[in-house]
Amino acid sequence: MRARPAEVALSAGVLALGIGAAAVTSTLPAEGGYAGIGPNFFPALVSGGLIVLGCWLAVEAFTGGWRRREEKTDRFSAAPFLWVSAALFAHMALIGVAGFVVAGTVLFTGVARGFGSTRLLRDAAIGLALALAIYFFFTALLNVNLPAGWMRSLT
Amino acid sequence: MDALTHLIQGFGVALQPMNLLWGFVGVTLGTFVGVLPGVGPALTVAMLLPLTVKLDPTGALIMFAGIYYGAMFGGSTTTILLNTPGESASIATALEGNRMARAGRAGPALATAAIGSFVAGTLATILLTLVAPLIVDLALKFGPAEYFALMVFAFITVSAVLGASTVRGLTSLFLGLLLGLAGIDSQTGQARFAFGVPELLDGIDVVVMAVGLFAVGEALYMAAYASSSSETVQRVSGSLWMSKEDWKRSLPAWLRATAIGFPFGTIPAGGSEIPTFLSYATEKKLSRHPHEFGRGAIEGVAGPEAANNAAATGVLVPLLTLGIPTSATAAILLGAFQNYGLQPGPTLFQSQANLVWGLIASLYVGNVMLLILNLPLIGIWVKVLSIPKPLLYGGILVFSTLGAYSLHQSWVDLVTLYVFGLLGFAMRRWDIPVGPAVIGLILGPLAETQFRRALSISQGDASVFITQPISASLLALTLLLAVGPWAYRRIRT
Repeated sequence: MRARPAEVALSAGVLALGIGAAAVTSTLPAEGGYAGIGPNFFPALVSGGLIVLGCWLAVEAFTGGWRRREEKTDRFSAAPFLWVSAALFAHMALIGVAGFVVAGTVLFTGVARGFGSTRLLRDAAIGLALALAIYFFFTALLNVNLPAGWMRSLT
Repeated sequence: MDALTHLIQGFGVALQPMNLLWGFVGVTLGTFVGVLPGVGPALTVAMLLPLTVKLDPTGALIMFAGIYYGAMFGGSTTTILLNTPGESASIATALEGNRMARAGRAGPALATAAIGSFVAGTLATILLTLVAPLIVDLALKFGPAEYFALMVFAFITVSAVLGASTVRGLTSLFLGLLLGLAGIDSQTGQARFAFGVPELLDGIDVVVMAVGLFAVGEALYMAAYASSSSETVQRVSGSLWMSKEDWKRSLPAWLRATAIGFPFGTIPAGGSEIPTFLSYATEKKLSRHPHEFGRGAIEGVAGPEAANNAAATGVLVPLLTLGIPTSATAAILLGAFQNYGLQPGPTLFQSQANLVWGLIASLYVGNVMLLILNLPLIGIWVKVLSIPKPLLYGGILVFSTLGAYSLHQSWVDLVTLYVFGLLGFAMRRWDIPVGPAVIGLILGPLAETQFRRALSISQGDASVFITQPISASLLALTLLLAVGPWAYRRIRT
């Protein structure tokens, strides 16, 4: 039977993570007082576990695929995935500079676009209303600070 | 009786006007968010966590209990009317509930789910009230070695024994354990896996992880694979009331389901997936109308829904008395406790008796509120269900990012959130369970602390884990559960 490339790649990823974690662990001190084990003991255990699991997953992937897994055949549509991702990145970049309300509106509109909405103005209006509502609810009622951005001049 | 005195004190706390208000806000918000398609109880609790940051611990935890129960109620509405189970525990309900709705019997289906949840939730809370003090007495005798053994037991049952694949369950668990290592080592102050990023020194927050895996991961997944599909919301027409016949068929199902659900919730068996299916199978077998199963049998809704709620209450037993979360939702609730510097466990029953018993009393109150609130507001929940996907996911992500950002007011947490989103996407696509990772993140550091404490006490002698009887039996049981099924298959073939 053919090995499934995605499963092989993910198995390799788990293995690599284990090896990376082991490399970081080797820089940690080992002395541990009364317990006889230091802050590096658990990391070593976890790294070792991940390495074993990565190998185990790889063996399954090469010998007929991961066990008891439903084969999913629906196609990956890249555009919606990228829209949602782009909206999240725009939000990260904007929130500190332009404030919560602007970033939230952009995020909302971008995600809606990713899910196939074509009425951008309507989405932006709803997103703005939602972001404003959350902003005032959190800052006025819950005393949680959110970046004001352009709204600083209003208050 | 001791438990009764404490409970009465607890009601004194839970019935204070402010706490009643927080409970009410909790059940309402929990139901509202829980109704949203694709939002399960774990995500509901994680998304609403930031709302409570400025509350006092008692008010916040009472609100959380409300959110937890509300999310369960809301989820059943979604399952019955939309046939998209938000979580695996709702699959059994979907089998019959959605059929009933399609046959124009949405009203009785919703009613039996709501009343059944109330009956099971209340009975299970009574059981919790009676059982918790007994476990607390036992747990007070536990030392670090016993706790560590108990945690290992929980790790193995939630990851390796349950679920489709042992190796994928363990992979998820170890991912969680690795992520749990990030931050300052509580024993020595050594920074580990922080890579000089200040946000990582605090450790990875369970909210960022849960919201990333569940909300961002789900949004990316739905966008990539199902952005244009749509389901039809079943109309609620006719009476909401159950007929005499419906009552007669529902009542035994509720009671049997409570008996099945509660014990399953208390053991680390990964929450309510197994008891709901067990209850479904039981009802199907005992029913006088077996031919109706698959076409909308009311027992098939009453049983699993009641089992789900009884198990959800059962989960609170190990969480409150031992500090051990046995489901992803419970792990997030534990995170909420930790935000207030509280560590659930036997000592909390002594040091914070008012808080713990107030919380337990609020469970009774919350169940009543939900029963009163749910059915009359059904029209609103139907409208919530009809929110189109683009707006629904837009809203979910605005709220999710808010929770992550408000931790440190830093975009670094948003990057972490997105990385967890990608991870959640991959885990969903390749059938790697998410629950063990969440439990690993929150329980891993606690297990490490207990392990090192046990060794400190024994001066580095590792045999403590097998010379203490409780610890040894727990570890032996764990080994049996982990290796047993595999050995059994080997011997048979």
